Amino acid sequence: MKLKKTLMSVLVPLASVILAFVIGAIIIAALGGSPVQAVAYLFQGAFGTPNNFASTLVKATPLIFTGLCACFAYRCGVFNLGGEGQFIMGSIATCWVATTWGIEGPGAMVLCLLCGIIAGGIWGAIPGILKITRGLNEMIVSIMLNYVATLFMGLLYTSVLRDGNVPQTAAVPDATQLQRIVPSLRVTWGIVIALAVAAVVQYFLFSTSKGFQLRAVGLNMTASRFNGFSVKKYILFSFVVSGAIAGLGGSVELLGTQYRLISGYAVGYGFDGVAMALIAQLNPVATVIVAYFFAVLRTGANTMQAGTGVPTSVIDIIQALVIVLAVAGFALVKLPQIRQWLAGRGGKKTAEKKEEK
Amino acid sequence: MEEILRMEHITKQFGSVYANRDINLEVRRGEVHTLLGENGAGKSTLMNVLFGLYQPTAGQIYLNGKPVKITSPAEAVKLGIGMVHQHFMLVEAMTVFENIILGDKRTKGVFIDRDARRKEITELADRYGLEVELDKPITEIAVGAQQRVEILKALYRGAELLVLDEPTAALTDLEVEGLFEIIEKLKKENKSVIFISHKMREVLKISDRITVLRAGQTVCTVERSETDGAKLANLMMGRELAPSHYEKIEQPGEPVMTLDHVSYHKASKHSGLNDISLSIGRGEIVGIAGVDGNGQSQLAQIVTGVLTPDEGEADLKGSKVAKFTPNGFIVENVAHIPEDRNKMGLIGNMSVQDNIVLKSTEEPRFSDGHGAHLKKKAIHEYALSMQEKYDIRCESVEQETRNLSGGNQQKVILARELEGNPDLLVAVHPTRGLDIGATRFVHDSMIDARGKGCGVLLISADFDEVLEISDRIIVMFEGQIMGVYPGKNPPIEEISLAMAGK
Repeated sequence: MKLKKTLMSVLVPLASVILAFVIGAIIIAALGGSPVQAVAYLFQGAFGTPNNFASTLVKATPLIFTGLCACFAYRCGVFNLGGEGQFIMGSIATCWVATTWGIEGPGAMVLCLLCGIIAGGIWGAIPGILKITRGLNEMIVSIMLNYVATLFMGLLYTSVLRDGNVPQTAAVPDATQLQRIVPSLRVTWGIVIALAVAAVVQYFLFSTSKGFQLRAVGLNMTASRFNGFSVKKYILFSFVVSGAIAGLGGSVELLGTQYRLISGYAVGYGFDGVAMALIAQLNPVATVIVAYFFAVLRTGANTMQAGTGVPTSVIDIIQALVIVLAVAGFALVKLPQIRQWLAGRGGKKTAEKKEEK
Repeated sequence: MEEILRMEHITKQFGSVYANRDINLEVRRGEVHTLLGENGAGKSTLMNVLFGLYQPTAGQIYLNGKPVKITSPAEAVKLGIGMVHQHFMLVEAMTVFENIILGDKRTKGVFIDRDARRKEITELADRYGLEVELDKPITEIAVGAQQRVEILKALYRGAELLVLDEPTAALTDLEVEGLFEIIEKLKKENKSVIFISHKMREVLKISDRITVLRAGQTVCTVERSETDGAKLANLMMGRELAPSHYEKIEQPGEPVMTLDHVSYHKASKHSGLNDISLSIGRGEIVGIAGVDGNGQSQLAQIVTGVLTPDEGEADLKGSKVAKFTPNGFIVENVAHIPEDRNKMGLIGNMSVQDNIVLKSTEEPRFSDGHGAHLKKKAIHEYALSMQEKYDIRCESVEQETRNLSGGNQQKVILARELEGNPDLLVAVHPTRGLDIGATRFVHDSMIDARGKGCGVLLISADFDEVLEISDRIIVMFEGQIMGVYPGKNPPIEEISLAMAGK
């Protein structure tokens, strides 16, 4: 049973990816391009050269953070759709410290990262507090806070933190930036931080008692309360940590890739994270893999457009198809008829039980 | 009197479980016919079959003597069956008038002839004494009024047979009086009413005939004039005087838990407690008997710290309880077998082993550093030993508990709750839905716990169960204690009467 389940949770996303590529190939062919050539360029763009490979990792880094952010909150049964706002607040705090406090160097960098974590955590705490004290819907509050964060950032780079004539902030000083792992490649220690966070989240959720209880709360709040867990504390905790992960992501992005706040910064990262966490079935390690896959599509898309003339929007379509197909696929394998068909004797019983309900 | 409805040999099976088994019901025109039975006796299933929500596995329904097949609620409405659910099906943001004409088939074309509709409804309301304010939104009217809207809605759609599912559950006494007047008027207009309830007093007051269901089967149908509360209680409980398997303790040890004048939501008769004082001693089983929904759930949740009483004090192991939290009670070694094992007891999507160690992952035997690192191997091995000891039948201890049968789910909870040698065990309906073997096992486990000096509070709607293992029996009715009886040679007649509120 367990093996079958694990198998399905790998098979479904894989099948979705393949199916999405098949549909993508049909679209490319319909546009007059050669699907085979397009895919070849896509993968070459993503990891054909060390530089391309590095670019993909750079693109993957923020996605890993927002994916883990969504994953962590969902594990506790609450929906944090505010990853983007928390990511931005982390970036803002980092930018403010790095560009206005007059400090530089590795110490300043660590301080910046810490401020990013705190800012993200505070921004994440707001929907959490409102949910446990006033019963407000956390999804709506966290989405609305995304707009607040985005507009607040706009206010900063157009007025308070504006640098010169262009609507953008000053860049983070060189000494404070996250350093490259290999000097010749763009990829910084940011990706290492992202992977470390993923490892910590994985460990916390599956190898500690608190993580175990947090998952229990996420799966059945009433039973958790009856068994002595403080449901409200866990909900708030999961929001704060989830926000802190996104905030750290924002901080890393600013210190390692973007260096300054500007119009269009971080757009879409939050919801991408939600989609990735869902495809990854809320598994932190799987979230990293899915994030990397999304980054591959995005980096490869430009090379593909340059090489074959197939527009990058085709890749957006494929990406969206992967999400839709994976979610549909997971829903499908949960249907009693499908379960019955999939499993033999063991599966039958569960299917019948489902129907009773 | 002419017959309006006959349900013959109705059987409804869910998987291998029979919710209804060969049930016969006959309702006459102009009568109030009560379906009486415990929770889970099959009343709701039968009515859902009648209303087209379920298809019976076997059996036939006759309306006005003609065989019918009711495939959907819409079909049932068309045939003149109206149903007022326990939880009202009203659109809260709409007005009373809009709710009544909602889904009305009389309107042809696009526009609703509001004046004509309003006239019809007003006439109908006057005829049956159903006072409603047509233009108020549902949110602004009382529960009793909402119920009148539901009844009016059913009548407006031409119901000849009205099913009222636990209609008094949410009403105040005054509102119940009002409802009964309406039911009398319906009777005069030759409408039939099926009244579903397990509240003896109301049943005796309003019914013409009563059909008693027990464990999915018809026990009998009796005329109101030929029965009384005690007789009905006996029929409902299905008492058979089998001698208990277990020895009864007459001298309990020192008290583990004492409640002193505890009240909770006093005004609510069916989900509150009114001035409860009791004590549970070490090494005794105190059984709470009573019809379901007379405050038992609230009692269980107070003695496990889930609810905080409004008034009164509780003493746990000799010291006053200052703060009611589930964890505070767990730390004091209070075990709880909750009434709803799936909702309150188990994390269904977690494995058997995870559920077994649910409360104890921070203990040194299962983790290093107060839960900083779980010892997965130790947990697995412990779960295997519990699987053996409690005879939990599952494919593996890594199987999710929601896929287990009810009996095995209960054994998982027992393994978790009893293994720590609790000082107090609160067991609510511990054997509901279990087969005989599993039931016996659960009872033996509770007796074992008693033997180890654990005080046990058993709350059960199954009277036999209470008689079987309790050393002392307390009867609850409408949130109050009606009497305390010895578990050895209990006075059955007296207890039955007390359960009916006399």
